[in-house]
Amino acid sequence: MKRIEYDVLIVGGGIAGLTAAHRLVDAAKTAGTPLRIAVVEKAKNFGAHVLSGAVSNPRSVKKLFPDYETNGFPLEGKCAESHLTLLGAQRAKDMPFAPPEMNKTGYLILSLSNVCAWMAENLVEKTKDTAVAVDLYNGFAAQDILYSGQRVTGVRVDDTGAPEQDNCYAKITIFADKGLLSRDLIEKFNLAQSNQTYAVGVKEIWETDQDFSGKVWHTLGYPLMDGNFGGGFIYGLKDKKLAIGMVAGLDSENPNLQPPQILQAMKKTPFVQQMLKGGKLARYGASIIPEAGWFAMPKELAVDGAMIAGDAAGTMDIKGFSGVDKAMESAMIAADVAFGALQKNDISKAALAAYQEALLDGWVGQELKASRYYRHAFHENKALFSDYLPVVLKGLDKGCMMSGGVKAFFSGPGGLISGGLNLLKLMGGGGSGELRLPEDRTCPKPKHNAVPLAEPEGFAKNSVYLTPDMVFYAHTHYHHGNDHIKEFDAAVCKKCIARFEAGNNPPPCVGDCTADVHSVLAKDGAKSHQMALENCVQCRTCEIVCPEKNIRVNPALHGSGPDFRGL
Amino acid sequence: MLKVVVFIKQVPDTSSKAGVNPDGTIDRARAKRMLNNFDRYALQKAIEIKRSVGAEVTCVTMGPPPAIEVLVEGLEHGADYGILLTDKRLAASDTLATAYALHKVVGYIGQVDIILTGLQTTDGDTAQVGPQIAERLDLPQISYCESLTITGKTAKARRVVEGGFQNVETAMPLLITVANSATPLGHKRFIEVAQVKEMLRTPEERARRIKSVSLDDVGADAARTGLVGSPTVVGKTWKLGEVGGSCKVFEGEAVETEVARLLESLAADSRNIAEMLHG
Ligand SMILES: Cc1cc2nc3c(=O)[nH]c(=O)nc-3n(C[C@H](O)[C@H](O)[C@H](O)COP(=O)(O)OP(=O)(O)OC[C@H]3O[C@@H](n4cnc5c(N)ncnc54)[C@H](O)[C@@H]3O)c2cc1C
Ligand SMILES: Cc1cc2nc3c(=O)[nH]c(=O)nc-3n(C[C@H](O)[C@H](O)[C@H](O)COP(=O)(O)OP(=O)(O)OC[C@H]3O[C@@H](n4cnc5c(N)ncnc54)[C@H](O)[C@@H]3O)c2cc1C
Ligand code: SF4
Ligand code: SF4
Repeated sequence: MKRIEYDVLIVGGGIAGLTAAHRLVDAAKTAGTPLRIAVVEKAKNFGAHVLSGAVSNPRSVKKLFPDYETNGFPLEGKCAESHLTLLGAQRAKDMPFAPPEMNKTGYLILSLSNVCAWMAENLVEKTKDTAVAVDLYNGFAAQDILYSGQRVTGVRVDDTGAPEQDNCYAKITIFADKGLLSRDLIEKFNLAQSNQTYAVGVKEIWETDQDFSGKVWHTLGYPLMDGNFGGGFIYGLKDKKLAIGMVAGLDSENPNLQPPQILQAMKKTPFVQQMLKGGKLARYGASIIPEAGWFAMPKELAVDGAMIAGDAAGTMDIKGFSGVDKAMESAMIAADVAFGALQKNDISKAALAAYQEALLDGWVGQELKASRYYRHAFHENKALFSDYLPVVLKGLDKGCMMSGGVKAFFSGPGGLISGGLNLLKLMGGGGSGELRLPEDRTCPKPKHNAVPLAEPEGFAKNSVYLTPDMVFYAHTHYHHGNDHIKEFDAAVCKKCIARFEAGNNPPPCVGDCTADVHSVLAKDGAKSHQMALENCVQCRTCEIVCPEKNIRVNPALHGSGPDFRGL
Repeated sequence: MLKVVVFIKQVPDTSSKAGVNPDGTIDRARAKRMLNNFDRYALQKAIEIKRSVGAEVTCVTMGPPPAIEVLVEGLEHGADYGILLTDKRLAASDTLATAYALHKVVGYIGQVDIILTGLQTTDGDTAQVGPQIAERLDLPQISYCESLTITGKTAKARRVVEGGFQNVETAMPLLITVANSATPLGHKRFIEVAQVKEMLRTPEERARRIKSVSLDDVGADAARTGLVGSPTVVGKTWKLGEVGGSCKVFEGEAVETEVARLLESLAADSRNIAEMLHG
């Protein structure tokens, strides 16, 4: 049997993967050369496993689709009004001074899952009657990386047991899988620099009574008052839809973050309540965000026969939340270099290394470098937020932010000034030396004592959901026999449960899961770790926060998982 | 090698909102399309036969040109050939006309050992086409087949019957309508999907594996198909209302109270449904 082989194989049909595919098609069409491309995507439909904000600088969309305003590219709108809002339990107020990177006026408002669905469809249109072939394999997850010596030769996508039937080979493999499989590549070639710092984002789409299109809010404050990095976002979409979400850093001491419930708490504030009035929840989902930036990028972005792009390469820039544009730019450069390498018939690491050079010398590298201490600034200055933010917000709820601010100042001027200066310095790019970030899994403390928050008054009960009910809105569907999360050692879980429960907390997998998958089962006096995998939205949070590295989230097979379309 | 023919139909996607035309017919142009769910079981049976005893599987569909999509889907699942019977004169065929046209395709293929059909379709829903084809071809038929064992040229089948099942055995050639309690259609294999993609790009290979035929090609009499060949008269069609609604959660009180409230609510709903049905 002839083995299935392509010129370029793209692993992951998200924004980076599909951008690379488009760019390759454009290049081959312009050069008039035949090219065979494959895209493997674990979701049943393109876009169904993609979740983002998303408000994006138009620069990369414009570069890939110069006619994006007229070619059918699915825009939710353009930001006409941008707010950075301080949220209290009762009141909200725009910050008097917002850092310029948080001003989103003129930016594109996108549903990234819809964008990906459109890009996949459009890709097929584009190649009709040309010598370029793009084969889309949605519903096929890349499960293992194939090597010939030190050279990547493709991935395994099926499990009939016969290699010639299960493997998809390529001259060049581009990993745009947000790390789900490419972490194996990074480990094999020892490419990691620092640990990654992750946040988890939970998001809902609401169909509302009012039209908020073109309006963008980023919120700080309630209910994230304990110094942890995070905040809310509310984006007005077309057709009276509203995207509302919450991002929370996983470098938190709290082993019981309950991300979906942080979002519910934010929704209870009068500020959000008036937006949701008369509306209904349409969809829910969650995804992680690699936030560390520069220092956590792999040392090398190419090996023999393979390249890494997008979030898998850590291109997400937390300064201004610039993930989509940087993922796209990295994919375009990777595609250009791959195409050139194929033309010259040299797919060695040395030839592909031009990708990294171009990426880091260009605006992506420059911006990531400038913001290299940005995220760390918040990790280092947690006290600034945990000590002062609640005081400021109390003032705000009483009707006067100034009074809160003044009070906060006098409650500890030294700490506030020095902390604030340090924060601003790091955010602005000051700081020196290499950063070695802690692993998120080392952060949760068994004895963490979360301070209960006073609940906002007067919210509509039917506008907030329990986590098991929210999962319903993620439309998850799994094939019979699915077992995509592997627990390595049940005894390790038992010890972990005992340790965290002694501090009155659940183990982090239970406390931080976004879809009510993990639980502790007490039976016959013994406690064990259980999973309801049919709920899983495949965000990977549990794996990141598991202190013992005792679970691994693998790509689910046969198109199983959530349906994020519209998110 | 056994020759297996499986009849599959493209129907409006049940998850998309298909409209009803003013004349009562389904607005097929507006609806998204999918492979008739019941036919997935028939296709699975065909693939099982191929993988267990070896067979050449041909998928046959009758419909407008886009129906070719279900043939490609059949091939991606492991079928060998596809035949699309498409002809403007077929429009508005009822079950009599459809079965007439389809039985002609069997004649066109030549020698066939097993013909498989689904139980019924999600749009026409008559469950008549399979049995009618068998009658026209004068073949033994096993309807509501759940499982099947093939030995040489004999088929042993388990049929679902009211209150139990029945084991039957018959010689080939025969026609089988596959029940929806049979094995569900499996996942596509990468190798087969990859090969179909390659095949579609190679015109000669494509022409060899997927054929589009007209009434004249299969030697059918156009007067016995389409609107003219269909004695069925559609009296009236109407929309039964939107399916869906929101989930009601009973919580806040003691479990007993909540269960009582749930039962009361179900009883009220069933009264409403009875009223709706009986006027
Ligand atoms: C809540 C949230 C809000 C955000 N807001 C913004 C914002 O406002 N602006 C902004 O610019 N950025 C934002 N980002 C960041 C941005 O979404 C990401 O940086 C960007 O999507 C990364 O693109 P990617 O292609 O690398 O990954 P993705 O777009 O996530 O695509 C990865 C794809 O690979 C597939 N895949 C993974 N593993 C496999 C496998 N083994 N086999 C097959 N397929 C696989 C996945 O199913 C998925 O389709 C946000 C992110 C989140 C989570
Ligand atoms: C009351 C009524 C009025 C109707 N009026 C009209 C009308 O005015 N205009 C109109 O266009 N249609 C009309 N139809 C639909 C039409 O009769 C049927 O769609 C068609 O005859 C096929 O029958 P079926 O869908 O009931 O198939 P069934 O008999 O339910 O299907 C059994 C099996 O036969 C096979 N099969 C059926 N159809 C095909 C096919 N096309 N190709 C391949 N295999 C097939 C499949 O294996 C299927 O599982 C009407 C149906 C009814 C019940
Ligand atoms: S999976 Fe990890 S976090 Fe969860 S109980 Fe086991 S060891 Fe603890
Ligand atoms: S089980 Fe893990 S991957 Fe699945 S939803 Fe929960 S945290 Fe995310």
